[in-house]
Amino acid sequence: MSNGPPPPPNPPQRGARAIRGPQSALTDFLASHNISANQIRQDANARRAAALASQQNGEDESNAPSPVADPEPAKPRRKETKAQEAKRKKEEEKAIAKIKASKQFQKRRRQYGSDDDVTDEDEAARTLFQESMASLPGQMENCEICEKRFSVTAYSRAGPDGGLLCPKCSKELDKEEGAAKKKRKTQQGRARRQLQSNLLDGIYPGAKDLTTLCIETLAKNVDMADSFGDLPAPLIDKLSGILCKRRLMDSTILDLFLRPGADSVTVYDGSKLSSDDYIRIFQIVPTIKHLRLRNAVQFKNKVMDHLLGTTVELESLSLLGANLIDDERWDQFLTEKGSHLRELKVYWTDGHFGNEQLELLPKTCPDLRRLKVVHNQKVTDEGIAHIADLANLKYLTLEITTPRVNTTPKPYVQVINSIGAGLRTLSLTDIPYVDDSVLGAIHDSCKDLSKLRLVDNETFTDEGFANLFTEWRNPPLTFLDLHKCRHIDAAEPRENPDSIGLGSLGFQALMAHSGESLKHLNVHSCRHISLEAFESVFAADKTYPELLTIDLSFCQQVNDFVAGSIFRSCPKLKTLKVFGNFGVRDVRVPKGKILIGVPNALGMQIEGTEDGEGRTI
Amino acid sequence: MASSSQNQGLSKYVTLISLDGFEFVVLREAACISKAIAKMLNTQSNFMEAKDGRCVFGEINGIVLEKVAEYFYYNYKNRNKEDVPDMEIPPELCLELLMAADYLDT
Repeated sequence: MSNGPPPPPNPPQRGARAIRGPQSALTDFLASHNISANQIRQDANARRAAALASQQNGEDESNAPSPVADPEPAKPRRKETKAQEAKRKKEEEKAIAKIKASKQFQKRRRQYGSDDDVTDEDEAARTLFQESMASLPGQMENCEICEKRFSVTAYSRAGPDGGLLCPKCSKELDKEEGAAKKKRKTQQGRARRQLQSNLLDGIYPGAKDLTTLCIETLAKNVDMADSFGDLPAPLIDKLSGILCKRRLMDSTILDLFLRPGADSVTVYDGSKLSSDDYIRIFQIVPTIKHLRLRNAVQFKNKVMDHLLGTTVELESLSLLGANLIDDERWDQFLTEKGSHLRELKVYWTDGHFGNEQLELLPKTCPDLRRLKVVHNQKVTDEGIAHIADLANLKYLTLEITTPRVNTTPKPYVQVINSIGAGLRTLSLTDIPYVDDSVLGAIHDSCKDLSKLRLVDNETFTDEGFANLFTEWRNPPLTFLDLHKCRHIDAAEPRENPDSIGLGSLGFQALMAHSGESLKHLNVHSCRHISLEAFESVFAADKTYPELLTIDLSFCQQVNDFVAGSIFRSCPKLKTLKVFGNFGVRDVRVPKGKILIGVPNALGMQIEGTEDGEGRTI
Repeated sequence: MASSSQNQGLSKYVTLISLDGFEFVVLREAACISKAIAKMLNTQSNFMEAKDGRCVFGEINGIVLEKVAEYFYYNYKNRNKEDVPDMEIPPELCLELLMAADYLDT
């Protein structure tokens, strides 16, 4: 046995691995030479134990010539004579005998349920012995499966028979047994997140409609399409939206949307398009009347010059992010092409499009019906005042974000007093210091509004809102957005002695005025509306037949009862947002409605109603 | 069929006919997922389609209409489920199917 080739070393059993501290430099050095300090200590212990045992019962040893024929040496050594091996074996026997007698061993046997079988006891003792001989991190070891030599690390894992595995074999084992389990878990998580993401997008869980399926498939395979044929315009628009969302709108895809003879082109994300692509729009579609481009940074002077040289007569122009068109080109455009212009929307132009351009509008664009100037840093009070001269204006949206200088109420009042009577839409955003005089002007002048947005203000009072909505001759609104109209005080955030912001009175007044036809309501962050106000507005005897979306996020008084009442009083409701309202915990959401922002990871619960059995997400 | 009580007299199935003459017999409830077909089959409307339970589509060919019928059953089967896997749509049919879906309002 000993003369043959050395038997494959039997890797030590590795039971519960103990956590060990850092190694000394010496241990590292020895380990690199394949010498284990632990092993030396174990051997020494074993020798000492053997010596002790031989002293105690010398006769026993002589007539017991290693009866164990078990060819299971713990550690075969390379240069070992037969005598040496026999000696070592004897020592091992002794050590095992000692282990058997030790308290630790007895304790362990009791733990694992005692068994009187002798061989079992032997094996258990041997396991314990080998365990203490297990390789430490940093040492070399033979892999249990491939028998290759590798260095043991703290992450080396045990093989099926208890031995250590090399990194390659561990990886394979991981793959075999871990893959199925891990995959199933991640897939579940992904499905749940996808569902929540769809809910945020307002897509109700369940089968999609055929149009959506087709548009999505088409968007996926858009590279295969040569042209869209005679698809109806609304579908083209949807398709453009999906492709832009996926950031696929580039020069070649744009060609699909340029259909000669069409009257509108919409690109929701033009960030991949060059100036020449924009010029091509006017070349291929000279009949264009409505142009809507977002993120159209490359729509610059060069493109504007080309547009001015063509016969294109735009009725509506909407440009987002075209901040490379200078004021001269804007003036030129408004002067030369303004007479046809009905709608002008200019977003995010940084330092361009200012007071002078607004001053030009009444002279050059007499027919302008819709004006939108959003996230503009150049317009000031003076420019806003010029809007008062646009007599035909019906839709007005302003978001002036001039750094340092905030707009004042005066020009807004002037505009509303002058053209308020004809306005259908009034949207004023980022107006922190505009006061109740604007609310008063709206109350007095506007009589045709259907959409009203007054956002981000810290000066309006609750009383001002109540007065606006009380005995207002304007018919009920369909869209109302008063979010972030609230008191701000860093020192005393909870106190609101002057009733700043939309509070209980204003909220009740607005629901009394517009509740019957309101479709969209946003009072996000209006945190001074009381629980009583919500309860009285959504009381059992009140219904709001048209409401589709409500945003009550960060209105801290909203609780489960209010949410439940809203679902009852608004039969057509699609989505209710309640971000940051920790009073909403466990509302049962009727089928077909979506509740967003519930403060738990798993989202909302759906319960069946009129047209289906109960179910839970 | 249309004599005594209208709803009871109605067949549970309707026939959809393509321009090239293929006929698909579909469960009425499933076909009415399409708002256009629902209107055609509305018994109060007095349309021919409602009387015979047969809808002829002069602009949809058999291949597309087959896919539409398949979608009706896909939708009907999954009407009370979340996590519905999307129905496979062959890309080459996509445009025609999109036109049909737009027409049928589904």
